[in-house]
Amino acid sequence: MAEDHLWWRVAWRNLGRNRGRTLITTSALAFGYLSAVVMVGLTDGMSAELVENGTRLLIGQAQVHASDYLPERSMYRTIGGQNGVDVADLLERLEAHPDVRAAAPRLYGGGLVSGGEHTEAALLLGIAPGRERHVTTLLGHVTEGRAPASGSREVMIGVEMARQLGVGVGDELVLVAPAADGSMGNDLFALVGIFDTGTPGIDASYAVLALDELQRLMAMDPGRIHEVALTVSRPVDTPAIAEALGAYLGSDPPTEVRPWTALRPELAESVALMDSMNFIIVLIIFAMAVFGVANTMIIGTFERTREFAVVRALGSSTGNVARTVVYEGIVLGALALVAGVAMTWPILVWWHRAPPDLSALVGGFSWSGAQWRPVLRVEYSLEGPVLSALALFLTAVLAALYPAWKAARIPPADALAGR
Amino acid sequence: MRRIEAGRAWILTLVGLLLPHPALAQSPTAREIIDRVDRLLRGESSRARVEMQITTEHWSRTLEMRVWSLGVDYSLVRLTAPPREAGTATLKARQEVWNYLPRVDRTIKVPASLMMGSWMGSHFTNDDLVKESRIVDDYEFVMSYDGRREGVSVWEFVMTPKPDAPVVWGRIEEQIRQSDLMPVWVRYYDEDGDLVRTLTFDDYKTMGGRLVPAIMLVVPADKPEESTRLVYHDLEFDVPLDPDFFSLRNLRAQGG
Repeated sequence: MAEDHLWWRVAWRNLGRNRGRTLITTSALAFGYLSAVVMVGLTDGMSAELVENGTRLLIGQAQVHASDYLPERSMYRTIGGQNGVDVADLLERLEAHPDVRAAAPRLYGGGLVSGGEHTEAALLLGIAPGRERHVTTLLGHVTEGRAPASGSREVMIGVEMARQLGVGVGDELVLVAPAADGSMGNDLFALVGIFDTGTPGIDASYAVLALDELQRLMAMDPGRIHEVALTVSRPVDTPAIAEALGAYLGSDPPTEVRPWTALRPELAESVALMDSMNFIIVLIIFAMAVFGVANTMIIGTFERTREFAVVRALGSSTGNVARTVVYEGIVLGALALVAGVAMTWPILVWWHRAPPDLSALVGGFSWSGAQWRPVLRVEYSLEGPVLSALALFLTAVLAALYPAWKAARIPPADALAGR
Repeated sequence: MRRIEAGRAWILTLVGLLLPHPALAQSPTAREIIDRVDRLLRGESSRARVEMQITTEHWSRTLEMRVWSLGVDYSLVRLTAPPREAGTATLKARQEVWNYLPRVDRTIKVPASLMMGSWMGSHFTNDDLVKESRIVDDYEFVMSYDGRREGVSVWEFVMTPKPDAPVVWGRIEEQIRQSDLMPVWVRYYDEDGDLVRTLTFDDYKTMGGRLVPAIMLVVPADKPEESTRLVYHDLEFDVPLDPDFFSLRNLRAQGG
């Protein structure tokens, strides 16, 4: 062990002999670490943005349905079946769960919206406006007028539907929907608001009204709802939370809790794609670093050919010579890690707190069915930095292996003889 | 998407079948027979009182209605019961379908995207009212059976759509009685060859001077416990009607 300690010291001193080179190599590794962590943070930020935008607008992060509701979405399959459910009690139970931030009940109906000369097919969505605000941003996208209120014949439609119907706030609309008793529910509603989510499919097809009004139109009791949309404490962990919630709710009434990963599988796939991009980015950055570090270390050992020959001639084993070079790599890695973390952490935190807003340069856009803000957002978990640190360390050691092997193979006599 | 031909049959039946059929020439081709049945079920104009009994998994209800039709282009259906929905009416004028809703006193044109939607909660679609493709124009025919079934001489036909025909069925099978050219049943299959629905005719009797099936039953294949049953109470043919009768103005008029 004492001898081992000696070789560490030799490694340390060797690094100190050419400080310029050590500084440059350390910086290369530290910058590699910085770029890896920031790139991972950026893609994580994009993933988070994707998930939040894809879920916050309308679907929420998890949804509770009657267990037989999906995938047919039959209007009769309300939570609790024909008898419905005590909605207030269900919401209270859900919100009592530590992982549920907010819950909002909903009812759907397929129908017609008619105004003036025109009629369009629409998805009628009944919401509890006060609760919906805490789960989705839909009501925040009202660009004209206001959200419909409970207990009054009011409706809000998307900007695209309003355009197709040729109607504006204040106009009267006819809503038609098949009712639960087989009749055709129809009534006059006042158009009180127009929303613009930026997602054409939603702006063209949704007509939003108060839950109680849609229940009345569809001849359904106040206890009948199709869905409870939820916001959860940790969106990334929604699948696990949804599973726990399913067990928590039990089987009376029979319900099913679906996370956004199941409701929007394409969104989950995008996130998985970004995760694999992360891996590739880290791989490329450190592959480049490996060769850079190996290069300087090969030169470093080459310069010390005579020195290694002397050490060998004095009786050191080839293993010890190789060991000191590898130790150099390890020490270099440790130095770079300290420097990298010291450099990266403040940048990451600053970037996370104040993401550069590129709105001035580019407009928002829609991708994967979600509206995007042009914001370079950075998210970080422990995983990215720790994995990058591991990669950096491995890089330093890997880069030292070849020079170590070369150093160990120096023939003492020939080297000393200058051959 | 697939209720069109039944709709045709429905309208045709609503319209009624009209000409007493001349005796068929010996060994008629499949096409000739179908064409004759097709024409037989098409009247110049008609007026009827119909009861529609709809049974679904979740509810059952009976609608009573009056129906007028003119050629293949026009028809008007006005509900007379249940009282809550009396006055609700559907107008078909050429390729368009309009609904009149007395509760809000508005007429609404059924948008193209909802043509495949259910008509008044029944197992007919709005499209059934509109699509008037003549079966002889859109399908190829093969007589698959000529003989007795349960003691009755019948023909059975298999119809497959012509390559570019604007139809939604993959195959239609129909059984027709040889003695009086009355249809017995029609089966509709999708493009995958799966049965989608079966139309059964019954209670053949003379109404408005012609032999017609007074009962028509539609059963969706995926929900055999559900059905829509049409019962004709009165049926008159070749009544004086002109296209003006099938106007939006008349759609709103309560009298009919």
